[in-house]
Amino acid sequence: MPPNAPNPPTQPPRRRMRRALLWGMLIGLLLVAQSLLVWLTVSYESARAQEEADGVAAEAAVEIRRDLLRHMQALQALMWREPMPSDWRDHANELMRSQRELLHVERRDADLRVTGSLSTPYGQRLFSQMSRDDLDIDTELACLTARRAARPSFSRTYFVPLPGGQGAEVLDLCVPLQQDGRDAGFLVGTFALAQLLDGVQTPRLARQYELSFVESDGTRLARAGMSRGTGVYVAERLVDLPGVLLQLRADAASGRPSLIPNLATALVLGLSLALFTVVLLLVRDVRRRAAAEHALAESLAFRQAMEDSLVTGLRARDLTGAITYVNPAFCAMVGASAVELMAGRVTQIHSQHRPPYWPPEFADAYQHRQHTLLAGGGRPGGPLEAREGFETVFMRKNGERFPVMIYEAPLVDGQGRHTGWMSAVLDISAQRRMEELSRQQQDRLQATARLATVGEMASLLSHELNQPLAAISSYTAGSLNLIDEPQGTAADTLPMLRQALERVAEQAERAGRIIKSVHDFVRRREQQRETLGVDLLIEAVMPLVRLQARKSGTRIELDMGDKPPRVVCDRTMLEQVLLNLTRNGIQAMETGMPLAARVLTLRVRQTHPRWVSFSVIDAGPGIAASVALRLFTPFFTTRSEGMGLGLSLCRTVVEQHGGALDFGPGPDGRGTEFRFTLPAPRATSPHAAPSLPARAGTSAGTSAGSSEEPSAEPSVESGDTAGTTPV
Amino acid sequence: MALDPTLGIPVVYIVDDEDVVRDSFAWLLRSRRLLSEGFTSAESFEAHLDTMRLPWPTAPVCLLLDVRMPGMSGLVLFERLAERGLLAALPVIFLTGHGDVPTAVAAVKGGAFDFVEKPFSNNALVDRIVLALEASGTELQRRRAQQTAGRTLAALTEREREVMRLVIDGRPNKLIADVLGISVRTVEVHRARVFEKMNVRSAVELANLLRDPGS
Repeated sequence: MPPNAPNPPTQPPRRRMRRALLWGMLIGLLLVAQSLLVWLTVSYESARAQEEADGVAAEAAVEIRRDLLRHMQALQALMWREPMPSDWRDHANELMRSQRELLHVERRDADLRVTGSLSTPYGQRLFSQMSRDDLDIDTELACLTARRAARPSFSRTYFVPLPGGQGAEVLDLCVPLQQDGRDAGFLVGTFALAQLLDGVQTPRLARQYELSFVESDGTRLARAGMSRGTGVYVAERLVDLPGVLLQLRADAASGRPSLIPNLATALVLGLSLALFTVVLLLVRDVRRRAAAEHALAESLAFRQAMEDSLVTGLRARDLTGAITYVNPAFCAMVGASAVELMAGRVTQIHSQHRPPYWPPEFADAYQHRQHTLLAGGGRPGGPLEAREGFETVFMRKNGERFPVMIYEAPLVDGQGRHTGWMSAVLDISAQRRMEELSRQQQDRLQATARLATVGEMASLLSHELNQPLAAISSYTAGSLNLIDEPQGTAADTLPMLRQALERVAEQAERAGRIIKSVHDFVRRREQQRETLGVDLLIEAVMPLVRLQARKSGTRIELDMGDKPPRVVCDRTMLEQVLLNLTRNGIQAMETGMPLAARVLTLRVRQTHPRWVSFSVIDAGPGIAASVALRLFTPFFTTRSEGMGLGLSLCRTVVEQHGGALDFGPGPDGRGTEFRFTLPAPRATSPHAAPSLPARAGTSAGTSAGSSEEPSAEPSVESGDTAGTTPV
Repeated sequence: MALDPTLGIPVVYIVDDEDVVRDSFAWLLRSRRLLSEGFTSAESFEAHLDTMRLPWPTAPVCLLLDVRMPGMSGLVLFERLAERGLLAALPVIFLTGHGDVPTAVAAVKGGAFDFVEKPFSNNALVDRIVLALEASGTELQRRRAQQTAGRTLAALTEREREVMRLVIDGRPNKLIADVLGISVRTVEVHRARVFEKMNVRSAVELANLLRDPGS
């Protein structure tokens, strides 16, 4: 579609804006979706991590509690038997060996005094830096609670400094001992918190979580685990022990879920989404493209049908003049197939290309014209002339020539380059035939009109003359009756005879007057005489003569000498004479003559200072002697449709002009020559009368073709050619 | 040329708009000793006809009628004459120019005596005119005989008239006697009386005499 729709300048910005808006919205939506996705993923991940941390913390808390309770039972078991075993040290030692978290075991009496203590064989001795007494408060509190509740109780945790600046957070368990129903003191076990944590730690857990005991204010008491917690996913659990509440914290080593892997996923997702969209768009585009292709094929078929249905021939030529395209109408016109017509393109591309439809006799002229056209290129002069069209003659395959009308326009390709010529070729032979027909009709009509006039005049004349002649006849017959009367001459016979003779004389005179009036009518025309050039006279009748000649294929030769003479004549009458004589000549050659021999010569010569001689010479069979005798008799004719007035009228007209009309065999012994003379003007005013320019005179000596408008355009000559060659 | 002089002087009427034709033809007729009367138009002839006392004509007449005339044409006049039943007593000869021949032929078929084409051969035309006058005379004679018969018919008795009617019908005497209830002999007497009174010799002659005029 060429961009020449009426409102394109206003539409694109709006459309572009809308499109940009659409794209922006699409991208925005995509971004929002992506962010939402990333956020969801991240939050999901953190929720999971938190959950896991919770789980770990809960498990660890349960585990630690269970451990401590087990230790409690183990310590109780040390002093279970009655009486108090003295070998508790051995048992305690054994216990400490198996339980690393149990650091210290001591025996106290009912007054809370330490009666015996035992330390773990692992590690440093507890209470080396500070004495037991200094760190006794929490233990005593626990023991008091235990005694009051009569069951074991844990103390609050407390820090025991160790040599080397180190220390350990510990927790005491005070188990009340009873012997025979009364207090027998306490057994106190000290546990290290760090070791407790280590006990519940699995290697996997140790890598991922930092377990620690914290105080309610967040102070870390002891920790375990290989890595430090990041403090992001933190879960705390309370370990509920008799006498004390421990706060266990699990801190995941993994930090906040990182954005990058999620972003990549989202990106992949987004890209696949985009891909899907693109595929969708592509599918739509392909579908639209297919529809467009279909439409294109349809419109191509439509155009093809249009071209095929055209009666106008179309022909495209490239700049070398070779045919690049023809439509069926053109092929039908010239009777050659498209392949034949375009064959020249391949074989003769550089040589002189002559299409088969050029009649050989005009090929040179056409070649010349094509060169001029091609040399003219795309210049403004060329196409302008071409658009008006020109007439020329083409040849069908069977050799028949036919007139065509050609309209040429330059072929311009998409880049604006001039690549050749497109011609529309119209076969105008039918049109020509119609023209010819209508001209013939016109001719016939005129002839009929002339005949009607003659006939009318004859009828009028006969009626007018009939009356006096009939009267005369009656009078004479009556007179004879009287003279022949058998009974002798009656008295009134003589006066009657006299009367009759007078009447006869009257009627005879009347008839004479009628004749004279006709003569006067003819005489009146004499006053319409004018002086004019013979070329003008002939020029006026030539179209009609040529029309007749074209029908029979007769060639007409004009010979007016170097300078056409001038004559004094009644122009209309003389035109009739010329028409009559030429028509006779042409008709004489219509039957039994070869086409080439059908030549009618019209020769005009000034033979005498006062006389101009006209000759109409045909090449027909001549005039038989019997016919020649009666040739000028009115109403004598050798033709079935003739009136027989032509030649006699001609002679009358010529003689009225003071000239003479006669005939004889042609100059070379063949055919017939009709000669008549007309008066030349007196040599007083040679420039008074009209005449054609000298050009017509100089070109008139050669042939019929050149007597018409000589033209540089070769195509125009085709009209003449059609006239002189049989078609 | 056997015109009965007892019938009166024959007259030829010429109706033609051309003076020359009328005049010269009247003169020609005069040279043959025939009386003629010219009229310049059909209207004037019809006017003349109206002044005539009937029954007309009293002498043999004939009419030369030009087909083409200004005013009423010859054909129209001819039609009117036919309506008046004058064609038998007044034979019409048409004068036609060329081109009128078919109409003239049609007129002859319609009862015209003849037609001649202009220009005509003069004496031949006069011969035709004489024939027409004779025809007119014959018609005139027939009419007079009929008139006479009418008068004698009045002299017959009732019985004689009855017998005559049956005789004209061609009945033999015996049948007539049966019809009228009289004897054959009486019929014969009556028959003889009728013949005598009517001045005829046979039944055929009687029938001819009593034929309807004009048929």
